[in-house]
Amino acid sequence: MERCFKIFRFDPENGSVPLYREYRIDVQPDWRILDCIHEIKWKLDGTLSFRRSCAHGVCGSDAMMINGKNRLACRTLVRDLKKRGVIRIDPLKGFPVIKDLIVDSDAFFERNEAVKPWFVNNDRPPEKERLQSPEERDRIDEPTKCILCGSCTSACPTYWYDKAYLGPAALLKAHRFIFDSRDQAGEERLEILNDLTGPYKCHTIFNCVETCPKEINVTGAIAELKMEILRSRLRKKSKSGR
Amino acid sequence: MISAGRFFEERLQQMSAQRYQWHVGSFAWVLHRITGLLLSLYLVIHIWVVRTIGQGPEGFDRVMATVQTPLFLFFEVGLLGTVLYHALNGVRLLLIDTGWGVRHQKGLFFVLAGLAVVVLLIGVVPILNLLGRQFPG
Ligand code: SF4
Ligand code: FES
Repeated sequence: MERCFKIFRFDPENGSVPLYREYRIDVQPDWRILDCIHEIKWKLDGTLSFRRSCAHGVCGSDAMMINGKNRLACRTLVRDLKKRGVIRIDPLKGFPVIKDLIVDSDAFFERNEAVKPWFVNNDRPPEKERLQSPEERDRIDEPTKCILCGSCTSACPTYWYDKAYLGPAALLKAHRFIFDSRDQAGEERLEILNDLTGPYKCHTIFNCVETCPKEINVTGAIAELKMEILRSRLRKKSKSGR
Repeated sequence: MISAGRFFEERLQQMSAQRYQWHVGSFAWVLHRITGLLLSLYLVIHIWVVRTIGQGPEGFDRVMATVQTPLFLFFEVGLLGTVLYHALNGVRLLLIDTGWGVRHQKGLFFVLAGLAVVVLLIGVVPILNLLGRQFPG
């Protein structure tokens, strides 16, 4: 079955202007989009650039906009898309383009670092491990599944227009540690989030939820953060007796 | 001033702009924005009405002469719809932020939008009656 792919091309080193190039190839319905762009790169046009590593939905490096939605190329089959018409592929929106489908994700990871995405516990570790009950583990089950592909932040209209916003992925990461029963830096992170760049910037548009390849309810996590900031304020108030 | 490089970079991002797919959540958000803007416009008209009515009997007559035209009755239907959507979606947003609604945002949207349509239809009847009484035939 022949399908036409319309792919965003841009190579700053050649001083070229961004444009779309069309490629026609024979594909099978159960091919992944990653297989299709491999076919194009290997057989038609070796200059086409994109990122991928694991090819199995684990590393998060091949997130791109496919037919109007951010998806992992390695987890999207041709038959998952509409049956007719061109298949359009663009780099992640809102991220600066380095070349073709490769985007600069530095800003994305800086935002992630801003929420201290590491485990903090200053107590002496017990002999074996820091135990957690199944219920406590359940609390952070969804956010631990995040592969940092960037699909959600790149799909977020708030992030398109305000690059100061931490974005859904960083907020989800904050959630993962704030609600971890073994972590001790929750209050500190809530302080960082209690700002115009934090969860209050979320307009509950749900683009992040629609796009997340791991089916995480990112907006739900953000809503929980909003409530937790409130609760933490109240806790502090009642402690200081005011 | 943003630097030329940054300017170029931002243009680039827009050039790669394949339109992002619509779905219930983004549609509800855009509609909320639009109705919000319309309501602020309405506020201006509202202030004019209240102020002119306050100027005594002539003012009152002047306002009535304007707002009882078919055009304004039509606007009134629009106003009712706008208020209904903005208010009910506002409830949806509250439910989302407090946690429960976030897992049911789509269902909530359809239920509340449906409710808005029903109340709108109920509200349109007296407005149309008024229109019929004013301009019989
Ligand atoms: S939350 Fe989902 S969409 Fe966002 S970075 Fe993680 S895996 Fe990707
Ligand atoms: S290549 Fe690793 S997630 Fe697709």
